[in-house]
Amino acid sequence: MSTNTASSSAGSGDPSTARKNSKRPKYSKFTQQELPACKPILTPGWVISTFLIVSVVFIPLGVISLFASQDVVEIVDRYDNDCIPAPARTNKVAFIQGASPKACNRTLTVTKRMKQPIYVYYQLENFYQNHRRYVKSRSDSQLRSPKYENQISACKPEDDAGGQPIVPCGLIAWSLFNDTYTLSRNNTPLAVNKKGIAWKSDKEHKFGNRVFPKNFQKGNLTGGATLKSDIPLSEQEDLIVWMRTAALPTFRKLYGKIETDLENGDTIHVTLQNNYNTYSFSGKKKLVLSTTSWLGGKNDFLGIAYLTVGGICFFLALAFTIMYLVKPRRLGDPSYLSWNRNPGGR
Amino acid sequence: MASSGGGLSVESSSSSSPSLLRAPSRTVTLGRIQPQAPTYRTVFCNDRDSNLPVRFKGNSISTTKYNVFTFLPKGLFEQFRRIANIYFLGISCLSMTPISPVNPITNVAPLSMVLLVSLIKEAFEDWKRFQNDMSINNSTVEILQDQLWVPIPWRKVQVGDIIKINKDGFFPADILFLSSTNPDGICYVETANLDGETNLKIRKALERTWDYLLPEKASEFKGEIQCEQPNNSLYTFTGNLIVENQTLPLSPDQLLLRGCSLRNTEYIVGAVIFTGHETKVMMNAMNIPSKRSTLEKKLDKLIITIFCVLFTMCLIGATGCAIVTDRDHEYLGLHKLDWEYRNRMTIAFFTFFTLITLFSTIIPISLYVSIEMIKFIQSTQFINRDLHMYHSETDTPASARTSNLNEELGQVEYIFSDKTGTLTRNLMEFFKCSIGGISYGCGITEIERGIAQRDGLKIQEEQRSAGAIREKGFNFDDPRLMRGGWRNEPNPDLCKEFFRCLAICHTVLPEGDESPEKILYQAASPDEAALVTAAKNFGFFFYRRTPTMVYVRESHTEQMGKIQDVSYEILNVLEFNSTRKRQSVVCRFPDGRLVLYCKGADTVIFERLADGMDDVRKVTREHLEHFGSSGLRTLCLAYKDLNPEAYDSWNEKFVQAKSALRDREKKLDEVAELIEKDLILIGSTAIEDKLQEGVPTCIETLSRAGIKIWVLTGDKMETAINIAYACNLINNEMKQFIISSETDAIREAEERGDQVEIARVIKEEVNKELKKSLEEAQQYLHTVAGPKLALVIDGKCLMYALDPTLRVTLLSLSLNCTSVVCCRVSPLQKAQVTRLVRKGAKKITLSIGDGANDVSMIQAAHVGVGISGMEGMQAVMASDFAIAQFRFLTDLLLVHGRWSYLRICKVVMYFFYKNLTFTLTQFWFTFRTGFSGQRFYDDWFQSLYNVFFTALPVIVLGLFEKDVSASLSKRYPELYREGIRNSFFKWRVVAVWASSAVYQSLVCYLFVTASAFDGKNSSGKIFGLWDVSTMVFTCLVIAVNLRILLMSNSITRWHHITVVGSILAWLVFAFAYCGIMTPRTRNENVYFVIYVLMSTFYFYFTLLLVPVVALLADFIYQGVERWFFTYDYQIVQEIHRHEPDSRHTDQLEIANELSPEEARSYAISQLPRELSKHTGFAFDSPGYESFFASQLGIYAPQKAWDVARRASMRSRPRAPKAPKKK
Repeated sequence: MSTNTASSSAGSGDPSTARKNSKRPKYSKFTQQELPACKPILTPGWVISTFLIVSVVFIPLGVISLFASQDVVEIVDRYDNDCIPAPARTNKVAFIQGASPKACNRTLTVTKRMKQPIYVYYQLENFYQNHRRYVKSRSDSQLRSPKYENQISACKPEDDAGGQPIVPCGLIAWSLFNDTYTLSRNNTPLAVNKKGIAWKSDKEHKFGNRVFPKNFQKGNLTGGATLKSDIPLSEQEDLIVWMRTAALPTFRKLYGKIETDLENGDTIHVTLQNNYNTYSFSGKKKLVLSTTSWLGGKNDFLGIAYLTVGGICFFLALAFTIMYLVKPRRLGDPSYLSWNRNPGGR
Repeated sequence: MASSGGGLSVESSSSSSPSLLRAPSRTVTLGRIQPQAPTYRTVFCNDRDSNLPVRFKGNSISTTKYNVFTFLPKGLFEQFRRIANIYFLGISCLSMTPISPVNPITNVAPLSMVLLVSLIKEAFEDWKRFQNDMSINNSTVEILQDQLWVPIPWRKVQVGDIIKINKDGFFPADILFLSSTNPDGICYVETANLDGETNLKIRKALERTWDYLLPEKASEFKGEIQCEQPNNSLYTFTGNLIVENQTLPLSPDQLLLRGCSLRNTEYIVGAVIFTGHETKVMMNAMNIPSKRSTLEKKLDKLIITIFCVLFTMCLIGATGCAIVTDRDHEYLGLHKLDWEYRNRMTIAFFTFFTLITLFSTIIPISLYVSIEMIKFIQSTQFINRDLHMYHSETDTPASARTSNLNEELGQVEYIFSDKTGTLTRNLMEFFKCSIGGISYGCGITEIERGIAQRDGLKIQEEQRSAGAIREKGFNFDDPRLMRGGWRNEPNPDLCKEFFRCLAICHTVLPEGDESPEKILYQAASPDEAALVTAAKNFGFFFYRRTPTMVYVRESHTEQMGKIQDVSYEILNVLEFNSTRKRQSVVCRFPDGRLVLYCKGADTVIFERLADGMDDVRKVTREHLEHFGSSGLRTLCLAYKDLNPEAYDSWNEKFVQAKSALRDREKKLDEVAELIEKDLILIGSTAIEDKLQEGVPTCIETLSRAGIKIWVLTGDKMETAINIAYACNLINNEMKQFIISSETDAIREAEERGDQVEIARVIKEEVNKELKKSLEEAQQYLHTVAGPKLALVIDGKCLMYALDPTLRVTLLSLSLNCTSVVCCRVSPLQKAQVTRLVRKGAKKITLSIGDGANDVSMIQAAHVGVGISGMEGMQAVMASDFAIAQFRFLTDLLLVHGRWSYLRICKVVMYFFYKNLTFTLTQFWFTFRTGFSGQRFYDDWFQSLYNVFFTALPVIVLGLFEKDVSASLSKRYPELYREGIRNSFFKWRVVAVWASSAVYQSLVCYLFVTASAFDGKNSSGKIFGLWDVSTMVFTCLVIAVNLRILLMSNSITRWHHITVVGSILAWLVFAFAYCGIMTPRTRNENVYFVIYVLMSTFYFYFTLLLVPVVALLADFIYQGVERWFFTYDYQIVQEIHRHEPDSRHTDQLEIANELSPEEARSYAISQLPRELSKHTGFAFDSPGYESFFASQLGIYAPQKAWDVARRASMRSRPRAPKAPKKK
């Protein structure tokens, strides 16, 4: 009552008739589980040399990254508090929402020569650009093409103004950062180039060059900056930068570039318009001037991490060597087998 | 003609055979007993038209689970019985609602993938079942059409058809036996498929129908059968046959069951009664209860734990969200709307569900389907195709009938084994003998070989002298006896008596041609056949039997080559039974000499010997002990010359006793005692109950692996003990506890006959014995080098010992014993014992058997193994794994089981780890999003993480992981204990993996976010959320995939391909996905992200740093663990690190260095010298009173002698018979 189905599928292409009727499984390395394999054993030699290799690779890399980071000159200036006139500081929110002038002057001193381009960032803290409600409150298709102007369903509550769709809609655009900085050095204005601060891919593909702002900031509550309605979105680089939402609640955004070198000891005057309300949620605002290296901005993290890990590995290599010397075990000593250690006991 | 409604009652037929009345209560059914329909069925034979209105079911069978229409609904329903799938269905629904942070695709995609794979697998398996059914349905049988036998496929057979079955053919349906080519309407049936018994059963047609044999005649047959409705009781059948207004009662004797086969009969003719699914065997077909492995049950616990973790994570998130959310964050637009943000309670409530959707990846959805796939390949490709488990003699490969239990094989602690057919071949061979104090025969038994091997000595493969006779039942070689050599022995006359005793004192029936080559001996037990065959080979050829005479062709006369036919008149036969333990024959030689020949157990024979034979007695006893401990079954032979007068007076008493109406058996026994005394000892025979190949070695290996083996057998205690010796389960150094019902106290009670009293006495005795043994056992356990313990218990005692009050004692006693032998047990008791250990001791059990009587045991154990390749299919059908030989258990458990266990553990742990790591990065991110439940990863990344970027390496791990090679697994069976202890699936292991997951997720998340803070290339542009998350994801995919290599003990190229492939797959996917630009939809979030990332140095620096740091901790852990807390397998790896991995070098092969004599003398010298009790007497009581039959009382046990006599008379007139097969 048996069938040959199994063997016929197994023996397909096998011409010998004698084997056809036999249920003898065909030999293959796969079915006999004899595939060639390397069998790594973590012997002390391997462990120690792995650690050594890691430390040998990582320590130089750490040094390189650290040097790169050290080359970067960065000036950070927190101004949210200082830019509120002293009398108004008891109720900052009222001040920022009020109509009183928001201009504010800051003075920065260059402590080390900064080679151009120098990047101007603003840094916000405790601002949840990664909040679920915030991240999804945008309409990508609307940004891309005027055809989809009416696709605003995701944009609530900033979706329409009096029945007309807002372009660009959504909370992100609505809350566009609107502090402005005017820089001068020794009373000569420093030009801040606001072009080329957004990623090219965003500019070219995500924001349409035929999409113009409409009904923007016309709702009953004004959020952040307004947009010029005659410039297409693809040219509104501030918006594009803002809309690449940040990963963490503390983030920097590129404001512009200064394309002249700054010398050591230069004093830079910043006239800023302190418009943006971070006071209701005690968010900090900072102005950052920074150069970059090939590895990016001033961030020692990578360098330190590489060095630390490299160091730890070196240390571990030593530690393991000592451990193996102190408590040696002969490789493959049958007397270590559990049934040899306590014979009789199961 | 038709009897009215209740006319066919049980009485009508049971009156013809009273035993039927009792029968149903003790019927052995294989499944649940189904209530019988109250009505009966009427079948018109040979008349399809009349049967038409009743619409009997067809004969085609179908064992498939689905058909084309039910496949989808039913298959899906099956899938959603899994909790994980239900969970994901729920999550998928949840993700369609606005509270979900993720796109529905995130959850729907993996779920549908998983369902698809599972359904394909189901479909494939069902297709195979379908094909199997088809091949059965299409096998052909001949039915009667227009006075001709026409072959038709089985499925077209209908109720009422007259069919013809040829010799060795299977019955296609349940058939009423009408006529046979044998003269008195008898046919022989092999029921091995049903109950595993290989001895032939006799079926007898009603005399009235004997003539309907030839097609012309058969087509005249017009009968009407009224019988019970289909039911599943195999041994009962009631009905009437109405032929020509004559009502004839039918009994099971006339019923031929589907699945049995016809033997020793040219062909038979019958009428079909039950077809297809209504046949008794099909009604018995159980839905194999799907067993789940213990590991899988533990896995459930793990999953529940993961659920708890998930719950906690969501709770933390929800609480956090309720606290943090705050309308002051005006940019979030909370001021305006949304009732769900009305108060903190609603916020927490909704966030909770949001987070559940978000963290759903913590439940490894593809775990089950991956495990299933791995196990499926393991069983179909590895177990089924393992050449080491292929038995070439029967052309049977191993077969895993379920793939659920592969890893269970790696944790078995108790094996319950059947004896006949499993440990032994049920093949008796005359192996040695002792005549007049001289031992003959130079074979070496398996056990001797085993002992020698254990002591490291090498035994030469026995070199048989040229021309040594080897046939079924005879495996003896000694030139001193063979070819007439015995004439030169010191005592040729005694030799002559020895041979004569063998040739005369038996109940064997010769069949076939009367030449030594062609004759066939039909014996009630294979022992008897072996003895007669031996006599034949010694030159005393028993060739014919009549009711009163035995004819022997003797070649012992003085001149060489002179052959003489001698006829012995058999005067009396004193039959064998279990109390007498001996059998005697009184015969008269042609020259008038009166001799009583007797053979029996040494104990009874020695008691009855004449005085003054102390020397022979002592030497023979020594031989018996030697035979016994070599695992041979011994019988003592004796004879006695009778003086005619004494005989005559005795014979009178005998005849009297024989015709007594009351207590005939007892009186016969008493009379026999009178003559069976003052015997002269001839010697003893030693028969090898041929073990299956390699059994002792296998048992030894398994016990080294920490597995305890229990033998559960229906055999008598002596036989069971004997086999236990032969298999090395018991030896003389062991302390044996024997609990037997054959004690005087019990026997006395039984003689008094009061059932209640008997029960009470036995229970008390058993209780007493158990208590005593347990006390003793515990004493031994406290001593350091105490002997190993063995328990032998018989079925009757077991029945009481399994009583709830005694069960605990029995369990604790038996768990202390290294081996346990239960004899005389019923199938039910086998299952009870298995269950006792399974439930009571919570150990993992495996049952192995070959017959239907093992079915219940096979199903009761965690793992059931059937012996395939024999005719019997019932055990195989009920089993989870089928192997051809007991010895393949070594491969099945130590190699496949251990590997599967190891692999599945690793796979589960890895799944747990990779999903936890992934979800935790998400969890850490939640803390920085104001607990809003913002997703960290793109939808597609998240949904493909499980099913695409990390799916294949783990499957490769599950298929190819090997800690040590197969040959080493067998060479170091102790490694198996790690599975019994469950070393690789403990909470400790889970904790290690969990901490690894926490560490790695923290590294991936923190390192990337911390380093991605400010301008990240020389143009000072800043990364957004999706850049960072893609970076984290990339690091994660690399780290998690490389982790596979770190945990693999054996890395094949498939590991490389899949690991590198998975990482590349991710990159390729990222390139494609981030670059896709369709006019309608684009992946705005991650659009171009990967290109942006890759344009920075930062990307590469992070990519090197993060995975290395993530894996560093695991590396350190493994380095430390290997050196200071080494696992056994690691040591073994180290010992053999320079050896190539090959299974071809079989470690068990041992070179020849000893000559046979040396080997034998060594083996003898190794055997214990002190007077041990075991002498190896074991004589199977005739097969006709096979244990079940006698219990059932249905086939009233015909005395062997009667059968033999009747058969011999019958075979006379049919001399020109075709030589029989086998």
